[in-house]
Amino acid sequence: MGNQEAPNPKEPPALWELAALFAFIGVTSFGGGLTAYIRRLVVSQKRWLTDEEFLPGLGLVQLLPGANVVGLSVYIGNHLRGPIGSIVALTSMITPPFILVCFLGFLYFHAGTTTDTKALLAGVTAAACGLMASMVFEAGQKAIKGIFDVFLILLTFALVRVAHLHVPYVIMIVAPIAIWWHRPRTGKQKVESTGAEQ
Amino acid sequence: MIRTFLQLAGLFSALSLSAFGGGKVVLPSMHQAAVSEYAWMTDQQFVDLFSISMAAPGPSMMVVSLVGLKACLSYGFWFAILGAFIATVAMFVPSSILVFIAGKWWDSWEESPWRRSIQQAIMPISTGLILAATWIIAKTSIHSIPTAIMAAVALALMLFTKINPVLMMGVAGAISWFFLR
Repeated sequence: MGNQEAPNPKEPPALWELAALFAFIGVTSFGGGLTAYIRRLVVSQKRWLTDEEFLPGLGLVQLLPGANVVGLSVYIGNHLRGPIGSIVALTSMITPPFILVCFLGFLYFHAGTTTDTKALLAGVTAAACGLMASMVFEAGQKAIKGIFDVFLILLTFALVRVAHLHVPYVIMIVAPIAIWWHRPRTGKQKVESTGAEQ
Repeated sequence: MIRTFLQLAGLFSALSLSAFGGGKVVLPSMHQAAVSEYAWMTDQQFVDLFSISMAAPGPSMMVVSLVGLKACLSYGFWFAILGAFIATVAMFVPSSILVFIAGKWWDSWEESPWRRSIQQAIMPISTGLILAATWIIAKTSIHSIPTAIMAAVALALMLFTKINPVLMMGVAGAISWFFLR
């Protein structure tokens, strides 16, 4: 392990500091690239965690269900202040956006569908559609390592769109196939990974 | 009313534990439940609410709160807030508890070769699910040549520039309001 240049003595932040930072993350976070953003704030700026502490947490939340930002707030909160820290980090991150979207929701249903709101939302939904499509490309780039991955993508798509199965069932069907296909192979890969480790 | 609360809690806690690769992968299920199965809203309303949640700051899956809000809107203001609250808690808490529990075993797990396998296996599945989600949004949001052009431009901007998506959606809304109203 690296020797960390810790400018501060290792004293965990107060709960209110945790709450303030995650409320800030909550209202300033949009779309992608968020994990890098959180790492910059928590590791580089505040120095609450070292990379050796942060990166395993990132690996964990990428593997588990749920948004990475949400998982990271729980992981970081717990790491710094225990279970209470998790709760504080999560609730302070979610509450401001929650109030804001509820306000926008009431506005939407109250204003109803006038020609103005219709025209405005036509543009916003079209842009949101483009944004989602860009996520397909980004995810696909990481996912496709061979022709079988393309098959897995299309199988998943067909089970949702053609068979109208709910996502949990789709995962139960496709995940065993996908994990079997990507199972650790003895031989080449193992040599590579042990070689990289040392 | 209680039934709606229970439906929201059941739906979103199940989706919370299935959201491998982020909240957006469960969007197709959310759409199917909210529009077809429970008939809480129309297709157009779902896509509008989704776009509003994307254009607002916060984790991308705040659309969950809006689905809860609309499901309970007919019961009155405070029940709508309560519905939004129940949906949000159901979406965020189960996966968070899992992070908390799994974190305790993570040290012994991290070096396992299966970890990479599972990570690589999840990716094509979440890609397929995001593709299905995009399909749903596209079907409703692209209904004319101008909207098709805007979606294509938005896609190109996201892929090739570092533009802030919220800014982009705001500008798209303004342009569309100016020309299409």
